[in-house]
Amino acid sequence: MIEKYAEFIGQESLQSIIKIAEKLRGVSILHVNSTREGGGVAEILQKMVPLMRELGLNVDWKIIRGDSSFFRVTKSFHNALQGQSDYLPPGAFETYDKWQSVNASEVDTDYDVVFIHDPQPAGLVDYKKRGRWVWRCHIDISSPYPPVWEFLRKRVEKYDAAIISVPIFGREDLKVPQFVVPPSIDPLSPKNVAIHRVTAERILRKFGLDTERPILTQISRFDYAKDPVGVIRTYKLLRRHVDVQLAYVGSPASDDPEGEDVYRKTVAEAGEDKDIHLLILPPNSNLEINAFQSGSDVIMQKSVREGFGLTVSEALWKGKPVIGGNTGGIPLQVINNVTGYLVNSPEEASHYSLYLLRRKEVASRLGANGKEHVRQNFLLPRHVRDYLMIMSYVMGIR
Amino acid sequence: MLQLMDSVGKGVELDLYGAYYPPIYTGIKAMDIDGLIQGLHRVDGLSIFYHVFHPVLSSHIIPDDVHNDFALWIREELNDPVLAHLVSDVPGEEPKTVEDVRKDLIRIISDGSKEVQGRRARRPFSFLTCIPVVYPIDIKVRTLGEFLDQVATMPGRALVYHFVFKRVMGYSKTNDFSNWLTENYGLTDVASKLSKLDPQTYTDEERMRQDILDILRGELLK
Repeated sequence: MIEKYAEFIGQESLQSIIKIAEKLRGVSILHVNSTREGGGVAEILQKMVPLMRELGLNVDWKIIRGDSSFFRVTKSFHNALQGQSDYLPPGAFETYDKWQSVNASEVDTDYDVVFIHDPQPAGLVDYKKRGRWVWRCHIDISSPYPPVWEFLRKRVEKYDAAIISVPIFGREDLKVPQFVVPPSIDPLSPKNVAIHRVTAERILRKFGLDTERPILTQISRFDYAKDPVGVIRTYKLLRRHVDVQLAYVGSPASDDPEGEDVYRKTVAEAGEDKDIHLLILPPNSNLEINAFQSGSDVIMQKSVREGFGLTVSEALWKGKPVIGGNTGGIPLQVINNVTGYLVNSPEEASHYSLYLLRRKEVASRLGANGKEHVRQNFLLPRHVRDYLMIMSYVMGIR
Repeated sequence: MLQLMDSVGKGVELDLYGAYYPPIYTGIKAMDIDGLIQGLHRVDGLSIFYHVFHPVLSSHIIPDDVHNDFALWIREELNDPVLAHLVSDVPGEEPKTVEDVRKDLIRIISDGSKEVQGRRARRPFSFLTCIPVVYPIDIKVRTLGEFLDQVATMPGRALVYHFVFKRVMGYSKTNDFSNWLTENYGLTDVASKLSKLDPQTYTDEERMRQDILDILRGELLK
């Protein structure tokens, strides 16, 4: 399987990964997170763990458990750490600690290197017996709600290293080394493999889009952070100049009351315009997402707050220029006038969308640059290699 | 010179390695020009390497028209293209080390315009350092011919490790290639021509490789 990646990263780069992995032969490694399916972390681990095993490493992946009160608490932590809310359920810290204790008694962490993903299982470190522990933080912790951060920080300081996705997420109040490792996309997944134009066309037509006219697409949840209303405004400004269609492709929001509210507001902003397609696709609609990204003329990720925003890399990988909000990890992926444009308002987003629709050769150039940029920086093998290097560091292997 | 191609010279072999430089946040951020200067004073040499010389690798995220992270941030966040260009072109050729570059950067930025002093960035400059991870690529160079072949084909990361990293970090006075050509063959002219290449001005290892090769071809294949 790992040889298949040579097509994307080259033999030389693949060999470097094998060389670095050789130093780690015999080391036992454990990944712990809170879900086997759903969400970016599980998606990455589903691909990464088999690849690491293929490299000759002894890797396991375990999931913590909890009841609904625990996951309400961790959801509130998630929002608080990203600076989106200061709401905590009553007894939040006690509930969190209780479930760390339960999981510590059930999850065997007797490994040489333990990767703990995100805040949900971070407190397991209180029960650490041996090995080197690394806290992998996938979210933006640069402006957290202080009481939650302080609660978590005391635990993070017990780790041997932490990993953040973007330099600006780094914390000045952490003594533990903070490695910077962006997430990645898998070029072999159905969401990212090259599909024929006809496949994209049939799927877009199935959802009512006219493939003879330009299409502007944003793939994201109905979430204020993704600015869906701003996306509609962008489209309306753009529509004055060009006969364009908008596809806003999201996923179900049944477990997110705020999501339903955002969806209603977005529908209201869209009005009766038949060229605005607000779509909610079921989870794992990988081929459909691929089709929207591959078959659109311009991809937007007009977030006003963002973790990393891997949908940007997904779109760039399909050779599409991206108009992205100047926030979170988007500027790592969208380099102004190289792979797309960074914007701070619907007016700017509309301006650059129009420019890219009129200047196809510019769109092609940015798209080609973007694909190369993702190939170099945001594919799964690079992510694996970064983890290997961090393991070497914490194990003191040179 | 062509008759030297199969010679092993004094028998010194050149063992080749590649290296990655995983970044680590230093805990230092700058929001303005003063913060940038303070950060430059505080960070370690590997941080200077990472922000100034690591962009020679095309994988390092930077547009082609500026050569280092500091210049990009000054241009994009502090809107001072003049200062950005000066910082972009800070000299990094031999015998400059990261410590020399640090001093030059502090001087250039301190002498910047008064207007930039009062500007505040929307996004901070996050100082990163790195931990080099060196790995063998299982190649030994024994003859001048092999050397030329390997410069043409060795992984970009080996090229940067031997031609840039060891020298600018002060582990050797000259780059490994010039060093080997001098030590093994006494080829001081070609060695000194190689030494004049400034790796700080490249944002693509293949472009740098081509220029190294052009010098070697011009000197060795005549």
